[in-house]
Amino acid sequence: MNTLRIAMKNFCIETENLHYAFSSGQPILRNINLQVEEGSIYGFLGPNGAGKTTTMRLLLGLLKKQDGRVSIFNKDLEQHRIAILRQTGSLIESPSLYSHLTAYENLALLCKVYGTSVKQIDPLLQLVGLAGTGSKKAGQFSLGMKQRLSIAVALLNSPKLLVLDEPTNGLDPAGIIEIREMLKNINRQQGTTILVSSHLLAEIEKLVTHVGVIHKGALLFQGTLDALKAKQEQTSLIYFDTGDEVSTLRIIRDNHQQAYTENGKVVLPLPSKETIAAITRQLVQKDIAVYGVQTVQHDLETIFINLTNN
Amino acid sequence: MTFLQSIQSEWMKTRRSTAAVLVITGAFFIPSIIIFMRFVQREKLAAVYQSGSFWHNHFFKNWQVMAFLLLPLGVILCVSLITQLEYRNNTWKQLHTTPQSFTSIFFAKLTVILLMLLQFFVLFNIAIYISAVVPLLFSTKAVYPLQDIPWTDLLMVNVKFFIACLPVLAIQYLLSLRIKNFMLPLGAGIVLLVASTFAIQWEYGYMIPFTYTGYTYILNASANPEIKMPVNILLLSLIMFAAFTILGYWLYSSKKDKC
Repeated sequence: MNTLRIAMKNFCIETENLHYAFSSGQPILRNINLQVEEGSIYGFLGPNGAGKTTTMRLLLGLLKKQDGRVSIFNKDLEQHRIAILRQTGSLIESPSLYSHLTAYENLALLCKVYGTSVKQIDPLLQLVGLAGTGSKKAGQFSLGMKQRLSIAVALLNSPKLLVLDEPTNGLDPAGIIEIREMLKNINRQQGTTILVSSHLLAEIEKLVTHVGVIHKGALLFQGTLDALKAKQEQTSLIYFDTGDEVSTLRIIRDNHQQAYTENGKVVLPLPSKETIAAITRQLVQKDIAVYGVQTVQHDLETIFINLTNN
Repeated sequence: MTFLQSIQSEWMKTRRSTAAVLVITGAFFIPSIIIFMRFVQREKLAAVYQSGSFWHNHFFKNWQVMAFLLLPLGVILCVSLITQLEYRNNTWKQLHTTPQSFTSIFFAKLTVILLMLLQFFVLFNIAIYISAVVPLLFSTKAVYPLQDIPWTDLLMVNVKFFIACLPVLAIQYLLSLRIKNFMLPLGAGIVLLVASTFAIQWEYGYMIPFTYTGYTYILNASANPEIKMPVNILLLSLIMFAAFTILGYWLYSSKKDKC
């Protein structure tokens, strides 16, 4: 079954029943089955404390796995940790930089580790907008600059997979847009798979192709952004404010729609435009006073909140 | 990815670090004081430099406070500062997501600490020589000693001091890797060092590794053949170093949270 699934879709990251608990036994992650398609930008969403960072730490081998399986590039993480990390770039939570060293020196020491040339440092600093920092130490950088340098660190080994935990923390709106465009370009031009976490859907919905929603350690939704948008359509409503609730309900049911009343208005899931027109026409024909017709479309943020609240 | 690359990367981190500054200032501290003292007592310099055992006396004068206090204290500080680089900068998680085995990371860091210790020994010996030459500028009567510098003997004593401080290095490395709070391993090291100053006169003082540099001084500075230890301090140092390094490696590699 697994072989068949892998043959159908190539997953860059796949976890099976990933479970993690505190030493007290309190679970942090419960049976997480993450499936990140190769070449996708996967938005990993959830409120603070939902389990995003723990999941990412497990994916990078920073936490010792307790139960379940982690596979990256179709290789088991435990057995091929170093080979996987060679092709992975990461940024977990706050920036990890040597404050007594310059931006160039921070990258140069990692070039040694990756066995790559220091020639790529200058273009990379240019890419993240830190080309002019010269001899300024990383400790003197603003949070936004540190975040940019951390992104440069993550990109240093031209990774096939980028794992970014809240990468736009501390960036101003212009910086957020810049980083978003940069990640899109990297994904498009180099085919890099990106797993990016955030607690704000609005912040990453313009970036991601796929979404996973985690809450209280459980994965509540996983799929394409389009699938989430389809869910949005399903939860949109239309309100009919008329002079006769009973007749309005009957007309709506005659049009094969399920409706209910709420605060004196008749409410139903948003049907097609044709159905709305037909219902309105029939109401007018039956001499029922129509005071108002109002549609309420839930944005993705509301869906996210609904998912995590339920 | 070779182990050598891991060492190079670790070495680059020490650039402009407090530990690197400590190595240089520590190496020149005692010789600078000796230069100052000889400047103050410059009328007595001629007699000092005419002594038949000038180099032996000069060398061990420099090593006296160093062996009993400053060398173990410097090792405690330097090791704590090197490991603290990762904690203070929140870089353990970055380091542990680079394609290096935990074994490489542990031993590359340890190698860099050993290299810094070696650097200290080289600089300290240069400073000792400078502290012998510079005071000659203060006195017209004092002349450069006629006797040859006993290079082989001095080198051997250096090797012995180096070996004698290895257990302190391994203990401090173990504690500093394990404990995030900088003050705890530092405090533990200083408490053990202070205890060792009392323990050195105790018949079982050799059970505390922080006494070994002091014992090495006593055994080598004095020409008295009756001074003997019930155990071979150098052999014990090497055994302790190996034991604490293995324990430190096990504690580090078995840590569940590598952030």
